[in-house]
Amino acid sequence: MSLRLVRIDDRLIHGQVVAGWLRALGAQRIVIVDDATARDEFLREVLTLAAPQGVPVEVHGVADGAARLITLAGTPEPIIVLARMPRTLLALRHAGVPIEVVDLGGMGAGPGRRRLHKTISASPDELRELRELEQMGTRVEIQIVADDRPIPFRSLDQSN
Amino acid sequence: MRSFRIVIAGHGTLPAAMLATAELICGQIPDLAAVGLEPTETPDHYAEGLRAAIGHDHRPVVVLCDLLGGTPFNIASAIARRSPRVICIAGANLAMVVEAALAAGTLDDALVERLIEVGRGGIVETERHRARRAS
Repeated sequence: MSLRLVRIDDRLIHGQVVAGWLRALGAQRIVIVDDATARDEFLREVLTLAAPQGVPVEVHGVADGAARLITLAGTPEPIIVLARMPRTLLALRHAGVPIEVVDLGGMGAGPGRRRLHKTISASPDELRELRELEQMGTRVEIQIVADDRPIPFRSLDQSN
Repeated sequence: MRSFRIVIAGHGTLPAAMLATAELICGQIPDLAAVGLEPTETPDHYAEGLRAAIGHDHRPVVVLCDLLGGTPFNIASAIARRSPRVICIAGANLAMVVEAALAAGTLDDALVERLIEVGRGGIVETERHRARRAS
């Protein structure tokens, strides 16, 4: 088995995730993988508060997260996995985490970042990392809310 | 006289609309601000606006947020965790906003409990509500 949906979102848990994606996936658990967040007790607590009751939030660094996700991928439990940046997911892939689809859900604009679609921008490094994920057999798509039709990353990467 | 400030925090135009609608019901409400998160706004920019509305004096503030887990709530709850004079409540509705607006006195535990109770109490389905009232 592999993880059905892994989302890159620089806000991690927010309205689109709790009100839309949790329900769309029937997910009962949120797993966040982010080294900086895992080290910050205050941020961890704020993120735990953001989830609805009955939905546990786990926050892991990349090393712990990889082991945990390999275990969870072997169970039928639907989960939503959140990371802030492509680099994290590439590290998870290299560590053997099976990821079927990466969803680009929120990647803010900024200097040196190319806008791919609406609220999705990426730096040249991030574009390379996303291409590498695709080369490893993971599909990369943009789908901001569950109702949106997924747009293949490749179609936007080539058209620019 | 109410001693605390009220801030409505939420997505898009909802906070401004809630404020305007609460004023239709209560008349002009002093010390009430609305801060809406625009679709393209960064969380940092929103946090600035929310902090300005909360104010930098020592007055107690209750922040009424539209959605548990939404960005406005996440930012407000982070501010509240660090600042004991700020109370953050999620799931705000018009009944709760009106109750807060008309409250007198201080922002104590009893008032926070009452706001939550009034917000929840205003959620009914008419048939069930009727059956309960008849019994």
